[in-house]
Amino acid sequence: MDVPAELRYSTDHEWARHEGATVTIGITDYAQDALGDVVYVEVPTVGQQVSVGGALGEVESTKSVSEIYAPVSGTVVQVNEALADHPEVINASPYGDGWLCVIELAEPSGYDTLLDAAAYEALIAG
Amino acid sequence: MTEPVPASFATPLEALHLDLGAKLVPFGGWMMPIAYPDGTVAEHRACREEAVIFDVSHLGTVRLDGPSAFEVLQQAFTNDLAKIHPGRAQYTHLLDDAASVVDDIIVWWVGADRFDVMPNASNTAGVRNAIGGTDVTHERAILAIQGPQARLRLSSFAPEVTEVGRFDVVELLVDGVPVVVAGTGYTGEDGLEVAIPAEAAEGFFRQALGAGITPAGLGARDTLRLEAALPLHGHELGEGITPLQANLGWVVGWDKPAFAGRDALLAERAAGVRRRLTGFITDSRQPPREGAEIVVAGEVVGTLTSGNFSPMLGCGIALGFVDAGTALEVGDEATLLVRSRPLEARRAPLPFWPQKGR
Repeated sequence: MDVPAELRYSTDHEWARHEGATVTIGITDYAQDALGDVVYVEVPTVGQQVSVGGALGEVESTKSVSEIYAPVSGTVVQVNEALADHPEVINASPYGDGWLCVIELAEPSGYDTLLDAAAYEALIAG
Repeated sequence: MTEPVPASFATPLEALHLDLGAKLVPFGGWMMPIAYPDGTVAEHRACREEAVIFDVSHLGTVRLDGPSAFEVLQQAFTNDLAKIHPGRAQYTHLLDDAASVVDDIIVWWVGADRFDVMPNASNTAGVRNAIGGTDVTHERAILAIQGPQARLRLSSFAPEVTEVGRFDVVELLVDGVPVVVAGTGYTGEDGLEVAIPAEAAEGFFRQALGAGITPAGLGARDTLRLEAALPLHGHELGEGITPLQANLGWVVGWDKPAFAGRDALLAERAAGVRRRLTGFITDSRQPPREGAEIVVAGEVVGTLTSGNFSPMLGCGIALGFVDAGTALEVGDEATLLVRSRPLEARRAPLPFWPQKGR
């Protein structure tokens, strides 16, 4: 499984990338592999306030549905509209074109409490 | 109800599946491939457009031999075996006294006094209780080669099998290996199912891959059968569900003097069914799911038994039972409460995807 070193991770298998005051969110390679072919994604709405662990959306495969939880608190400032017609990019590029949304952090320290790549690799290794 | 399964059986092809990168999941007491690395949607399309091969060794095979075999099956199952003859296959049901479908079964009439009865994996023991016979499930693998190009691609390494017609059953030799080939399947496409000795299965499967046939898992098998509106036991058939409710009255040999569940089924036919299996289609990619309530004109009129994304139609499709007397024509609107949230749908004609085959 691909676990990029520069990202942070939640125990619910979301990844987060810090860029200035915002954090881009997606689901991990491990999560997309466990789900199988993604056929539908429910993205959050721009302007939505989210807090850590709160519902951020849903991702559905041919075999199951999985809730996406917010790994940080803040305001949704951008969503990946392309997922509506091409949810399969989550399988093909979970850390790239398969991003879900961008959140403006409520507090800068929110990002630092997430798992680093080594800790997440240990988590998925069981 | 489903009994706990003590042990997981391994298909004779497990090592090959793992070699191909398949993900294995428990199904009916077996560890079976759900998908290979290309994924369920690609495998589904390959079956509709080209050819795929499924390992369906988890299906049971109960063998009945001898002069009494015909009569045993004729009295146990709903369909009329007298409509077919040796060398043909028949879809049939085993009912309980209340006419619930205990299992749906394909019978291969292999030779004059020999029948291979093929229940669903988890129902094999129950079917054997009803009919006796010998469970030969673990002696063979079953490979289903399905799709419009299935016969063409098989012709490059097993030309003998390609002449087996729809619902024909033929014993023959492939490279000196004795196999039984049936023109059956569960995808809505033309195709064949091959019962082959367990030790010869990997060689056949590898030759199929070499001939450009795509390996496909149970994930695609499920989305394919749903598009073809073929019932899955435990969903559209099972406890409390009769063949009539599932629109499968054609599976019943009404003129037969006796079969399990006949009295209850005749009573239901006379009184009228209380609910009927119905198809739904949505405008969204969101998969409708089993368990969702079906709402028409503000009233809950039924529950979905299966639902998913249709790779060919690009939208959600579902099957569910709707109470008799509900005013709901094809094209009429219904709301599906998927995890308590409304998903707009319309009643659809069945099947969602037309059956093909020669």
